[in-house]
Amino acid sequence: MRVTASMMTTNTLRDLNLSLGRLQKTQTQLSTGRQITKASDNPTGTATAMGLRKSLNRADQYSRSLEDAAGWLATADATLTSGLELLARAKELAVAASNSGGISDPNARIAMSTELRSIRTQMLGLANTTQGTRSIFNGTAAGAAYSSTGVYNGNSGTVVRDVAAQDSLAINLTGPQVFGTAGGAVGDMFEVLDRLATAVLAGNDAAIATEHTNLDGATQLMAAATVDTGSRAAKVENIRGRAADEVLRLRDQLSNIEDIDPATAILTEKMQENSYQAALQVAAKILPMTLLDFLR
Amino acid sequence: MTGISSLYTALSGMRAQSKVLDLTGHNIANAATPGFHRQRAELEAVGNSTPGLFAGSGVRGYGVNVIGVTQSIDVLYEARAVREEAGRSQMALAGSTLAQLQATMPEPSDNGLGSQLDAFWGAWSDLANQPDSAGVRTQLLAKANSLAASLHSTAAEITAIRDSAIVQVAALGTDATGLAAQIATLNRAILVDPDHSLDLKDQRGVLVTELAKLTGAVARPAESGQIDVYIGGRTVVSGANSFALDGTTGTLRWAADGVAVAAPSGDAAALAATLTDLVPRYMTALDNVAAQLVTSVNTLHTAGYDQAGATGHQFFDPTKLTASTIALSTDVAGQPNKIAAGAPVLPGPVAPGPLDGEQARAIALLAGSATGADSQYHSLITNLAVETNVAFQRAELQDQVADSAKQQADSVGGVSIDEEMANLTAAQRGYEASARVLTAVDDMLAFLIEHTGVVGR
Repeated sequence: MRVTASMMTTNTLRDLNLSLGRLQKTQTQLSTGRQITKASDNPTGTATAMGLRKSLNRADQYSRSLEDAAGWLATADATLTSGLELLARAKELAVAASNSGGISDPNARIAMSTELRSIRTQMLGLANTTQGTRSIFNGTAAGAAYSSTGVYNGNSGTVVRDVAAQDSLAINLTGPQVFGTAGGAVGDMFEVLDRLATAVLAGNDAAIATEHTNLDGATQLMAAATVDTGSRAAKVENIRGRAADEVLRLRDQLSNIEDIDPATAILTEKMQENSYQAALQVAAKILPMTLLDFLR
Repeated sequence: MTGISSLYTALSGMRAQSKVLDLTGHNIANAATPGFHRQRAELEAVGNSTPGLFAGSGVRGYGVNVIGVTQSIDVLYEARAVREEAGRSQMALAGSTLAQLQATMPEPSDNGLGSQLDAFWGAWSDLANQPDSAGVRTQLLAKANSLAASLHSTAAEITAIRDSAIVQVAALGTDATGLAAQIATLNRAILVDPDHSLDLKDQRGVLVTELAKLTGAVARPAESGQIDVYIGGRTVVSGANSFALDGTTGTLRWAADGVAVAAPSGDAAALAATLTDLVPRYMTALDNVAAQLVTSVNTLHTAGYDQAGATGHQFFDPTKLTASTIALSTDVAGQPNKIAAGAPVLPGPVAPGPLDGEQARAIALLAGSATGADSQYHSLITNLAVETNVAFQRAELQDQVADSAKQQADSVGGVSIDEEMANLTAAQRGYEASARVLTAVDDMLAFLIEHTGVVGR
């Protein structure tokens, strides 16, 4: 095949251009630190990277929800523990009142009754504990959970938090679930405490015995609620540990796909630079030579 | 018998070699001219064409004649080179348009639409956790507005690509018409003397290549050295007549009857593909993302309850379903307390408590829906990335094919300086040798004239 000067020039230019193009691509990768500067560089990698980013954003969201849930459950736990202590004291008083076989001293009875009423008031205060601006035993209603007379103002709504992918957790207990349902033969804890205080004041042994039994029932309900809250808090702790690992894993994967390996990139750049220089030198030697240089 | 005629034999040699020298000089001068094909002189020995019956053995030649100048050109290679140039132009334009489209939606990125969608769903999740917080509600509206703004600006950029393609089509129409007119003019000039218009033919070839790059035109030789040029089977140049193309309507049309030009390759084909396929397809895909966002959020939101226990509010305006028009509905714009976070209590349905955040939680879960806006956007980006990647690869491949075709054509018609140098030396020596012969004959004649027939003087 005949080779003409214009063919040689075109070929040399094209090859230099290709070499320079490769060099430029490596340079862009080195200066941005990313392998994928635009989606078409690696379509499958881009698709994976987008999915990973999404998962990372959602993991951030889950960690916020987890913090919120942990705070709520810790408050509930502390409240219920205090409540159990109060009930223990009330039980002591009830036992003392019935053991005395009808205390004759009216002052002692007045004192016990007053203390029982005070326990009831404190318990009402605990029932209206808030987390931030919300009462934690209120369900999804606004305002305080219990009125000053012990009437439940809330509803039976659940408060749910999304804590992981496809894993949501109800974090609340409603008033009736903790303190018992009002009305009926037994009533809720506040009614029991109320009737117990009245019975102690009146010295009504039979009533004291009945309310003592009811108090045990209320204590069991509250204990069960405490256990329930504790197990939810443990689950939240468990998920938090996993979530932190998950985030690390996701970031690692994302970096693998998107970021360059500096050592490889620098070596590649060096190689390409060398080959470009060699191409330039060869072109400089060959292109200007013609027969003219050798004819007399 | 040496005589005056021998002078003319030598003279013919000198004339022929000087013509060859001329041509060599012409070739060297045009070594870098685009579209130039090297020219060669055709030499023929002048002999007795018909020896007479009684000529005996006196048959002799009378020198050399330059019977013509030919161009070294391979029509097949030339046609192939033109076709592949048109293909190269088309692929390059297609690749660059797709790159522009891709640049309107940069991914993977922390600032792209994907991240904004994530932030939007995150704001719903925050609302589910704190339905009573005015700050969180206001934040949600802000995130929704910025998402809508991003969709607007992306749609505007895609529209800008379309608008610039329309402008290019108009310019292409004007250019193509101009080139066709010039080709027709050259045809007329070449018709006057087809055998001696080699350089005009080269110029015409360059114009044909330009027209092919624009429209994928194909040239066919016609009578008397002219060519006819066709685009998509219809004539654009025929002899000294050319036909106009008009691109002012956004589609390239024949000016005579308004029928659309069926350009098989070249820039026109790439632009037509952009305007009728690429831009509408991706614009529709983006609009679908917006529509899915609007309907999926609104469906859940209208069933939800706000803090006052009212239901039926729209979140996005349900009549604005495209990426360029998506907006917050008047039900919630500027009124963060109207955002419905609470889920209906079944059966009924009745309003839940004012601090219920279940509907907001359900809306936040739309982020992971397999048919939701996010996954549609994901598919859009992936498709675009694959299509762009393929276009780049095809453009590279076509580059190589076009270069190889050009090389083959160049190999036949290109000027090799070394070859011309050798020819130059040969022509120079030939001229000198013929001059020598002339001198020798001249001497001999002079001797004959001066020294014969002078006996006794």
